[in-house]
Amino acid sequence: MSEIDSLKAQLQDLQTKALALFADASDSKVLQELRVAYLGKKGELTSVLKGVGKLPPEDRPVIGQFVNATKTALAEALDKAEALLSVKEKELRIEAERIDVTLSGRTATQGVLHPVQQGFDEMTAIFSHMGFDIAEGPEVEDEFHNFDALNIPAEHPARASHDTFFFHAEGDEEAKLLRTHTSPVQIRAMQACVDAGGEPPLAVVAAGRVYRCDYDVTHSPMFHQVEVFKVDKDVSLANLKGVLQHFLSAYFEKDVPIRLRPHYFPFTEPSAEVDIGCVFCNHKGCRICKGSGWIEVLGSGMIHPNVLKAVGIDSTVYSGFAFGLGVERLVMLKHGIPDLRLFFENDVRFLRRMGSST
Amino acid sequence: MKIPLSWLKEHTPLTKSVAEVADDLVRLGHEVEGIETPRAGVKGVRVGQIVEMVSHPDADKLKLLKIDLGDVEHLGIVCGASNMVEGDKVPVATVGTCLPNGLKIKKGKIRGEVSFGMCCSEAELGLAEDADGLLILPKDAPVGEEVGEYLELEEAVLDLDITPNRGDCMSMRGIARDLAADYALPLIEPGDEVVTTDDSVAAPTVAVTASEDCPLYTACRIEHVKVTDSPDWLQARLIAAGLRPINGVVDVINYTMLDLGQPMHAFDADTLDGEIEVRLAKAGEQFIALDGKEVALHVSDLVIADSKKVIALAGIMGSQATGVTERTSNIILESAAFKPAKISTTRRTQALVSDSSMRFERGVDPAMIAVAMDQVAQMVEGLFGGKVSVTTSVGDADSLIKDKQIQVSMKRIESRLGVAVPESADAVLERMGFAIERHDDRLNFSVPSHRHDVSIVEDISEEYARVIGFDNIPAVMPSLLTITPRKLYKAVDAAVAGGFIQVINYAFISVDEQRLFVADDGEDLVLFNPISEAMSVMRRSMFPSLLNTAKYNMNRQQTGVSLVEQGRVYAGHMREHTETNMLAWLMTGDVQQDSWFEKTRKADFFDIKGAVELWLSGRGLTARFMADDNVQGLQAGQTANIFVGKSVAGVIGKVDGDVAKQFDLSDDVFVASINLDVLHAGKKAKFQPLPEFPSIERDLVFLFDKSTTSDAILQSVRKACGQQLVDAQIFDWYDGKGVPEGKVSLGIRFVLQDVKRTLTQEDSDKAMQAVIDVMSQKFQAELRG
Ligand SMILES: [Zn+2]
Repeated sequence: MSEIDSLKAQLQDLQTKALALFADASDSKVLQELRVAYLGKKGELTSVLKGVGKLPPEDRPVIGQFVNATKTALAEALDKAEALLSVKEKELRIEAERIDVTLSGRTATQGVLHPVQQGFDEMTAIFSHMGFDIAEGPEVEDEFHNFDALNIPAEHPARASHDTFFFHAEGDEEAKLLRTHTSPVQIRAMQACVDAGGEPPLAVVAAGRVYRCDYDVTHSPMFHQVEVFKVDKDVSLANLKGVLQHFLSAYFEKDVPIRLRPHYFPFTEPSAEVDIGCVFCNHKGCRICKGSGWIEVLGSGMIHPNVLKAVGIDSTVYSGFAFGLGVERLVMLKHGIPDLRLFFENDVRFLRRMGSST
Repeated sequence: MKIPLSWLKEHTPLTKSVAEVADDLVRLGHEVEGIETPRAGVKGVRVGQIVEMVSHPDADKLKLLKIDLGDVEHLGIVCGASNMVEGDKVPVATVGTCLPNGLKIKKGKIRGEVSFGMCCSEAELGLAEDADGLLILPKDAPVGEEVGEYLELEEAVLDLDITPNRGDCMSMRGIARDLAADYALPLIEPGDEVVTTDDSVAAPTVAVTASEDCPLYTACRIEHVKVTDSPDWLQARLIAAGLRPINGVVDVINYTMLDLGQPMHAFDADTLDGEIEVRLAKAGEQFIALDGKEVALHVSDLVIADSKKVIALAGIMGSQATGVTERTSNIILESAAFKPAKISTTRRTQALVSDSSMRFERGVDPAMIAVAMDQVAQMVEGLFGGKVSVTTSVGDADSLIKDKQIQVSMKRIESRLGVAVPESADAVLERMGFAIERHDDRLNFSVPSHRHDVSIVEDISEEYARVIGFDNIPAVMPSLLTITPRKLYKAVDAAVAGGFIQVINYAFISVDEQRLFVADDGEDLVLFNPISEAMSVMRRSMFPSLLNTAKYNMNRQQTGVSLVEQGRVYAGHMREHTETNMLAWLMTGDVQQDSWFEKTRKADFFDIKGAVELWLSGRGLTARFMADDNVQGLQAGQTANIFVGKSVAGVIGKVDGDVAKQFDLSDDVFVASINLDVLHAGKKAKFQPLPEFPSIERDLVFLFDKSTTSDAILQSVRKACGQQLVDAQIFDWYDGKGVPEGKVSLGIRFVLQDVKRTLTQEDSDKAMQAVIDVMSQKFQAELRG
């Protein structure tokens, strides 16, 4: 056998063996080792090439070609085996990383706003967007702001119906009380305007806690009201209706029909109770609206001239409307909450449920 | 007020159905609280005639009756009553009927005799509280007819809530007037038959010394009256309108009050001494009211008196001793005008309410004083006999009854209503009793004596609004834009984002709860008329109500709660008090539920502190927490004051174990509160260029005495490192194995950076050495490994 034939046979042999090993390789690490073993600087192919020096010069290009062909074949085989393995390995890895996607996610515990707060925020936001300024007032009030200035003198029958909480007064101290409505903020806001040398227009929304000495299934001694008023030249009953219509539709997130019924409040003239089309039966009549299709939601009217007079606003020049609404009542209607007491029991199961609805 | 429809029809010929009338009343401003058909329960009770009556063979007190109901066969009924005779007509409840008292009539055997129904008394029909014997119906009652129909028992009664300004509508006549005006029907005037007076009866002598409060007082005397029960029809009317029959004379007075709106009073003339005086009460005078209540009179109370005693609190209630009873034979009738404010004040201070005071307070029509007097005198004479004197009258009736004149501008009314007023509205108002003259824009308005509530232009605008109908007023958005620019902080929102559940508690708590956290310094605001002891003082700390809420929830299957409340605390005196806006947190029990990725653990101080810090940082504020062992209700060693800037903004700590136990809370309870009113606005976020040069992170671990606070350590660290320190944090805290008793190993992580250049290893070494030196000098801290 000539030197060249022997080398060829050797290369042939090497290739056969290598291809078999490549095919058998179980992971990419083994393949990497095989690459080094066959194609590396100190690899087998290199050692075979060492024999080339012994060949006669005319044979050398022939064997060179042969060696290159073997090298290419091995390299290609290695690349192919590697590609195959990496697909297989990825599949294995994916299988190994398989999880139960239905397990709950990692979350921080979520807090919730009290439903009354939510109602409060929604309502003041609506009025605020409409252009009403936000005002606040004290909850411990005096008789002037809570009654007298609102045209409810001491002997007025309406005063008795307010179920007022009074404070222990000592000596000649003027009796203080817990405000029975948010209307005193109306007085304070108008007074502040006049005292600062200003004059209407005034458009104010005031929200807060109010108190009535009444505690049973449908009454809470503390609840929340939102008071809204506007004083300007030529403010009309039609404007009151416009604002009410807009607010009630915005709050209930649908076009609710409204109805104004003549009523009596000492601080407004004319006065009207405001009904909305029953939200439970869509105005058709049900148990909750006692078949009438209407539900009373708030009291309203044109500010009585005596109220304007009490704060020094000229009622022959200015007029205004005002209304006050019970936050709990509207929240109960909007969310179908059956019992007022739920708001102040603060059962976190109730609060969480009401919080998740928004 | 209860309004039987049939009674209204005596004042105006209504033809509409009760439902229509109710709707129209609502439109006119009278709230309809309900429509009742109170005696619908007597259906099946018919007029029967007793055609045969024999005694029960086995029982003396029972009678066997044969009843003719107009049917082919007569009905056999066993009856225990004794006030009937053969031929009488009585109400007969047939088998299957259910009576108002719930009794269901069945065929039954009484002592061996079969009974096919029951003859009824007034009580059994729900017409009276009690009765002896059967209700004997008039001779002309048609046999077989439903008794309910015959007695008009099944009619509808409207329950109206009359607003306090409409005293004129607290009568059938008043309501009828509004309806008649609206429907363009005539209002039937009360009868004008004159009472025949008898000169032999002396008219009462009356002196009015308090003429300011009693502008008109009229009285007449009726002698030889035989007071019996009032007739059935009258009693039925009173019951339908919600009043109890008492005796004939009182019933007639009440009937007339409901009918015309004028409250009157009757005295037993034989119990009076001397002449009648209308005056203010004298100091120390006493009075026993009709209802038996002993009243100590105030000198401001208006009273009716004789020469010896007070006989009535004017317009509110008569005295017990001078009232009319079945034994009365001579009476004095009073019909008067009293000033509403006077009646209201006495009603309030004496806490005495009556149907009479309700009307006088709201204002009655002085035009009815004489009319009602005539009606009562006539009815008493007609029903119970007697001779009537002429009426004594003190005061100027004519000036009381005179119409008020008001000039108004129609433009002004239209601008207030936002709608043009049609001339047709005038006709409706005129039917209500107003007189209107139009001279272009100017209106001369004549207000009748029954409308006390109308005196200014705004009142007239309301009358027009009612007549036009609120439904016919358009909805017009006004121009609005008066917002003063300001930033609104919604304090509670950020706390909720931190995982807390917002609660809203009553602002009043018990005094005992107050004392748990606030010492008694006389600054409590105590309610005079609390709902209960548990709600008697305005809270000065947010913690008691939060603890109660925690208790409520921990008793309801919660293993832990994180609560937040925004509200006010209140303190001070009547002359000066403060209301402070607070935000308060409470944590107790498990901080989270066991989950597949994390096990539950109990809340501790640093949970709530983290919540407070997170909340503050959301507002751009940082706080320093300074330990304070003397905060009432909180545990020493786990309590701190929260400083924002130089002011104490709040407190944080662990609730004293004994206090927590009082609220049945067995886990540690942590609370914090922040005074929202002392917080300044916080720094506005300001742009800074991102750092150009890299930062270096270094860690040092020291052994400190346990008493050294991290706050003090970090402050010294900051000073030692100077400008280049971006951040320093405690990243490790360890007092376990290998750490000597009383010591703690603290790891501090430093982030160093320079705005002008890249820091070198030497720079950071220098900074670390400065820290090591300071820690050693200041805290004798020893560097570990
Ligand atoms: Zn409904």
